[in-house]
Amino acid sequence: MPNSASYADLIDDRPQDGIFRIHRSIYNDPSILEAEYRNIFERGWLFLCHEAIIPKPGDYFTTHMGRQPVFVIRKEDGKIAAYPNACGHRGSLLLKPRSGNTKSITCPYHGFCFDPEGRCVSAPKRATGWPAELALTQFDLQPIARVDSYRGFVFGSLTLDVPSLTEHLGGATALMDIFVAPAPQPLEIVSGYSIYETACNWKVMHENGPDAYHAPVVHNNFAAAIAHREKRAGASGFRKTDTGRLTARIASASYDLGNGHTAFWQERPAPEAFPIWGQREALSRRFTPGQLAWMTERGRHVTVFPNLLMNDLASTHLRVYRPLGVDRMETIIWCIAPVGEPAEARAARLRKFEDFFLPSGMATPDDVAIAEAAQQASWAHASPWSVLSRGLHSCHEGPDDAARELGFVPQLSSDSWDHEVAIRGVYRRWLDMMVREPGRANA
Amino acid sequence: MLDAQLQAEVADFLYREARLLDQQRWKEWLDLYAEDAVFWVPAPRMSGGYTDDPELELNYIYILGRAGLEARIVRIETNSSMASTPPPRTCHLVTGVTIENATATEIRAAASWQVVSFSEQRGQQLRSGSYDYLLRRAGSSFLIARKKIVLVEHVIDGYFDVYAV
Repeated sequence: MPNSASYADLIDDRPQDGIFRIHRSIYNDPSILEAEYRNIFERGWLFLCHEAIIPKPGDYFTTHMGRQPVFVIRKEDGKIAAYPNACGHRGSLLLKPRSGNTKSITCPYHGFCFDPEGRCVSAPKRATGWPAELALTQFDLQPIARVDSYRGFVFGSLTLDVPSLTEHLGGATALMDIFVAPAPQPLEIVSGYSIYETACNWKVMHENGPDAYHAPVVHNNFAAAIAHREKRAGASGFRKTDTGRLTARIASASYDLGNGHTAFWQERPAPEAFPIWGQREALSRRFTPGQLAWMTERGRHVTVFPNLLMNDLASTHLRVYRPLGVDRMETIIWCIAPVGEPAEARAARLRKFEDFFLPSGMATPDDVAIAEAAQQASWAHASPWSVLSRGLHSCHEGPDDAARELGFVPQLSSDSWDHEVAIRGVYRRWLDMMVREPGRANA
Repeated sequence: MLDAQLQAEVADFLYREARLLDQQRWKEWLDLYAEDAVFWVPAPRMSGGYTDDPELELNYIYILGRAGLEARIVRIETNSSMASTPPPRTCHLVTGVTIENATATEIRAAASWQVVSFSEQRGQQLRSGSYDYLLRRAGSSFLIARKKIVLVEHVIDGYFDVYAV
């Protein structure tokens, strides 16, 4: 990015003129990634993990906050804390990826030992070689400034000056409340997961989630493959696959939830193919018809800025994103499901997941290939603008009827899932966080 | 009957499967599979190792029945899959073919594999791992009743499909 340019010059946001464009240098300029690490990933709420990964005291999960390695651990009192995954002595990684259980944490380098409160409790040969009374407290792990969870979703911030987690999540909480299955039904992360690396900027992939406009084009081959399988071998009950969203005209809507969070829903042409359909009667006793429709008759997609994606379109999943470089990123993906669901429903949920997602599924590889192609195209500086103005004229402030039914108030609503209102919200938030950089003039 | 002739016949069969994939002779490749064939690639567990209850744990690929394998080929042949148009050129190296167990009707065989693949999009990629086959005797040859593929790597660079593992 030229020194004279500001981040605001890269987001051409003029709704009054029917224009919303982003400059593709945001995908390939290393100085922008550096600023994103400082201003977004290392300063503000980030999704860390789901509590179901660390149910028992001593359970831990290793991850990153921007560039910084951290681990999340369930303490003896049941509370969750996060620490830098770096020994307070000489800084070796303390815990290996990805998860496990430990009573104490021993550094593999010099053998310093820490408890789940982050306190350094022992150092080898402590009595010799050090000044008389070695204060172990100097090695204590400094807790990550803010850690909190909402409905089992654990978030952390490396800086203290952030709003409460629920304030940050805003309208996303209503969608998190009903994701997979509504409370009090506990959720689990199904055994098995995947990590994949993609040769694109993290924002290219982040955009791909809320972008339903691509689905019939990129994933039509998924519908064709499933149609062949079901014609040849048949499928019934939850084993059937609903591909109607890729091939038919359906009711839908999309939302800018504020703070960079997004959502969309699409009516399910075959809602009976999804495991939650089996709970419909029980749910109908607890929820209004509108809420019930959200849970059982609509595919839902939510992103929480900047690194969490949760959707229940093909199957119920969580994805967390991390930039590895300006043109490389990591995705971790899990299947999330109600604890104790019948085996047949669980198996069907997993098979739908494997069909569509993962770097080995029949849809995610095409999203990855498209994202990598978009990354390469970002170098076409002669044509540097991406247009994201679809639905710009038809979106409106506040909730639509569906949002009112569930009880959330989006910044903007649009009456189609393939409008780009959500992605515009992401980039408005991105700019807002980028220009708050200390010492950098707001445009 | 664990004899050298059976070992050679099984090895030839596995090499033939590899060659059909490398030559993208999809129909002939599918014909090696039984109608009720299982094609299974387990996923890693966060605590280490791989999932081993394919029904109730997550897998990279868990296809029950030949029609599901055919669906993978249908997807390629739509020519609209960005990841598989054209499908990467592959070279399968299959080695260490070992008969684990043999009955009058079935043979369990293990092997190691490496696949070098090349596409314009992703350049050259190398993957490797192990095969665990359950073969059913069918006339003078075999049908694949189950193929389990375990990958060495836990982190996947890019993506893969049934023809590149």
